[in-house]
Amino acid sequence: MTENAPQDPANPAGPASCDDIIFTPLQFNNLNVKNRIFRSSVSGRFDNEDGSLTQTRINWECKFAKGGIGAIVSSYVPVLMEGRIIAGYATVHRDDFIPYWQTLGQAVHSFDCKFIMQLSHSGRQMDVPGVHNYARPTLSATSKKESLHGFLCRAMSLEEIQYTIDAFAKGAWRAREAGLDGVELHAANGYLFTQFLSSGINDRTDEYGGSLTNRARFLLDVISAIRAKVGREFHLQVKISAVDHNNVVPWEKKGNTLSESVQVAQWCEASGADAIHVSTGSLFPHPLNPPGGFSFETITATYDAMISSGVSTLRNYFLFRYPALRPIFYWAWFRMKRGRPVEGVGEDEARAIKAAVKIPVISTGGWQTASKIRTAINSKACDGVSIARSLIANPNLPKFWAGGHDLPPSPCTYCNRCLLNAPKNPIGCYEPLRFANHDAMVEQLMTIYNTHPTLQVPKPDEVAP
Amino acid sequence: MIRELPVTAVQEALHRRWRLLIPIYILLAIIAVLGVVCFILAVILLWQFAQNRTPHYADIVEEFKYGSIGTEPHSGIPYRIWRVLPALFPEDFGGRQDYSAFGFIYEKDADGRQRDLPIGISRRTYRNVDIVWFNCATCHTGTVSATTSSPDGQQRPARHIIPGMPSNNLYLERFIYFLLNAGADERLSPDSLIPEINKTGPTLGPPDEFIYRWYVIPMLRDGLLERRTRLFPLFAQQPPWGPGRVDTFNPYKLIQANMPLASLRQDELIGIADFPSIFNQGPREGMHLHWDGDNTSLAERNLSAAIGAGVTPDSVDFDAIDRVADWLKTLRPPASPHHPDAAAVARGRDIFMSQCRACHGLADSEGYTFTGNAIGQVEPNDTLGTDPHRLDSYTEKFREFQLANFFVGTPHQFKYFTKTNGYANLPLDGLWMRAPYLHNGSVPTLAALLQAPSQRPVAFIRGIDRPDTKNGGFEAPPCDPSAPPANSFCFDTRLPGNHNAGHLYGTDLPEAAKTDLLAYLLTF
Repeated sequence: MTENAPQDPANPAGPASCDDIIFTPLQFNNLNVKNRIFRSSVSGRFDNEDGSLTQTRINWECKFAKGGIGAIVSSYVPVLMEGRIIAGYATVHRDDFIPYWQTLGQAVHSFDCKFIMQLSHSGRQMDVPGVHNYARPTLSATSKKESLHGFLCRAMSLEEIQYTIDAFAKGAWRAREAGLDGVELHAANGYLFTQFLSSGINDRTDEYGGSLTNRARFLLDVISAIRAKVGREFHLQVKISAVDHNNVVPWEKKGNTLSESVQVAQWCEASGADAIHVSTGSLFPHPLNPPGGFSFETITATYDAMISSGVSTLRNYFLFRYPALRPIFYWAWFRMKRGRPVEGVGEDEARAIKAAVKIPVISTGGWQTASKIRTAINSKACDGVSIARSLIANPNLPKFWAGGHDLPPSPCTYCNRCLLNAPKNPIGCYEPLRFANHDAMVEQLMTIYNTHPTLQVPKPDEVAP
Repeated sequence: MIRELPVTAVQEALHRRWRLLIPIYILLAIIAVLGVVCFILAVILLWQFAQNRTPHYADIVEEFKYGSIGTEPHSGIPYRIWRVLPALFPEDFGGRQDYSAFGFIYEKDADGRQRDLPIGISRRTYRNVDIVWFNCATCHTGTVSATTSSPDGQQRPARHIIPGMPSNNLYLERFIYFLLNAGADERLSPDSLIPEINKTGPTLGPPDEFIYRWYVIPMLRDGLLERRTRLFPLFAQQPPWGPGRVDTFNPYKLIQANMPLASLRQDELIGIADFPSIFNQGPREGMHLHWDGDNTSLAERNLSAAIGAGVTPDSVDFDAIDRVADWLKTLRPPASPHHPDAAAVARGRDIFMSQCRACHGLADSEGYTFTGNAIGQVEPNDTLGTDPHRLDSYTEKFREFQLANFFVGTPHQFKYFTKTNGYANLPLDGLWMRAPYLHNGSVPTLAALLQAPSQRPVAFIRGIDRPDTKNGGFEAPPCDPSAPPANSFCFDTRLPGNHNAGHLYGTDLPEAAKTDLLAYLLTF
């Protein structure tokens, strides 16, 4: 709160009051978060090829912690190297990485912010396989290639499923050992958990396919394994897609409905989850997640990094590159957005899930306006919101709200250029309207690389033979 | 170049897919190549299919005689076939190698060689096939034979071709009979025609031979057989047309209007009449045109005549018709070759002025004058008394069909046709070359026309083009229809449609007055 904050004509009430729901702590079973704002999972390719995190990641996370949010849900953290979405993201598949995560946790905690590690596995949704993965099809619930990019995959055997369940449990244990505040299972947006959950993707005939009970078995097994590994006192939340909308490629099946997801959320609660994080869509990106624009010029400049990743990517590249073909993709993509708001796009679905569970519910989807967030929480659509793009644009967004502003002076435009640049360029805001010039934008992108200039001379036993 | 192993799983999958799909890709490539070839061939074929061109002549007389009015596409005969028919059907051509056997007139070119096509036959390239058929000159160009003095003082016979004159030599019915019969003759099959066509050269190439074998010849035969089926039952109920005559409307009803023969009344089935002259069309605008005066519009009459010749609304060449029509407005007939006694002419003129002028204008040293109270008007046949068949052949039902179906929705839609009750009083310009007289050509000479019908020749030879200096008209010796002279047509006035009754004007004059009137008429 600051006395010098400019008066916001949209919020004549002035600075937020002490009982502003946004800044009211959120108490989970095993975790207390100082406010209702979570930094949603987002990252860049700034970690090492072996999966160890770098100072850049620490800088990245601290940028948001300093901005005043209550907790950070880490970027996608693979529990196995074969589960990476993009090479260059930190993993948690090795015990010797625990100290790195410990350092990161301490850094975030220094800003009075909690850190929740998002445990993940890409399954077939692997954008940039990297040297570890490019020579093999990824593991999935199915052997059908991914619908949008044509990523290849192979259905996991029961042994591989069990191995992966164990990997999640170990990942959670490493997070706890690193002193982090909890873990989130990324069971939304098309990754491995979704590939099991979705009726539009899962075509298995064993106990992990067919009925919703069977399709949810993998997720619930992971929850049980984690609870068995780390106990009941370590925070565990699950991010699910409330509705799959799996037919972005028009001939695909629609996938799970809201009622199915409500059932899944209830099962998660019963299995030991402490919170449900509600998203949308059975692939990522998806027209409804993150909602907003789609810059053909941007993706034309970056999608080439993915052309070798799938068997349909060249087709997509042509659709992106040539204006005459763009209307085809534009129709397929934007037909699902009609009539849907950008901010709070998943509010209704979150409300339905919150009504069905007793644990807190976090909603994601374009949140940026304080008044809308207050309304959503007060109306019991959710208990908190998670935000990525709006915080990239304004990492100190909570401070604007605390100062009584409904929106920051230069809000996120939902252009999605940050997302579309991710496969190729550093993470950050790429909205040209928000910068005086290109150099200013690049300067913003480089801030997280402001690491320690001191280089160390390795000791002889530290140098690989 | 060393073939590298795939690096990524995606590459391996793509390689595998490529190997699996190679046959399909090859098939697609072949289809694509074939598609391109077919497209190119289709473009060429379409271009050829769209061909519709004809020679145009700077000289309007040449245009009249040889220029196209658009009859060829839907009515004509392929030129290459036209050329070989005399050789294939020698019995129909009387041993001649050209169509003069049917009265078509051939001219010589600048080198003194007979022209390829006769007068009245035009040529048009339609869908890349050269086709020939009728134009205005077919029915409106005749000949007059005369004896001329050569520079060496010798008397030599000469034959003058006169554009605009009735086609007094053309035996159109026989020509149509020949063609329709040829359609049913095995000699018009591809196996007979194509070798004969190649013999006349140039040899048909494989594509053209294919087109002729499978498209041109079958289409021609089908068309001829269809017309044969329609026209022969009509012809069977008509007397022979003879040279210089045509049934204007009945074939028109059956072919162009697609009316069944059974739908026609018995009394309309004989509409045979003489080809008319077409001089001085300008002054005729507004007069009742056609023998029965059924139309007062020159343009509409011209278009209707063109339809009779074979144009359709799709193929008609309005520009060509208009060009010829403009020229015909002022085309004057050659002066009469007769030199009757001047005093008799003067006396005859007085008689004419008192008894004939109102209906038929007058002629003097300035030429023909198109004035008269009743000139160009329809004289009821109850009064006139001539053979009614031609009048009856044009019916109200057919008039309604013409108005409702031809060029509907265009500026050319028919609207001036009327059903009359008689025959039109025609101007008499070029009278000397318009014999035989009356609409059906039933009276051979002017002198005979001044006789009572009972005294007019009962049967006479048609088709002689030597002027009769004494009686007016052309020589027309009497004949016996039951034993006609060889190579001549004996016209029998006793047959339906051929009656020579009526037009009694002047028949009751004293003989001297008739002689004077005839002298005056010889000057027309």
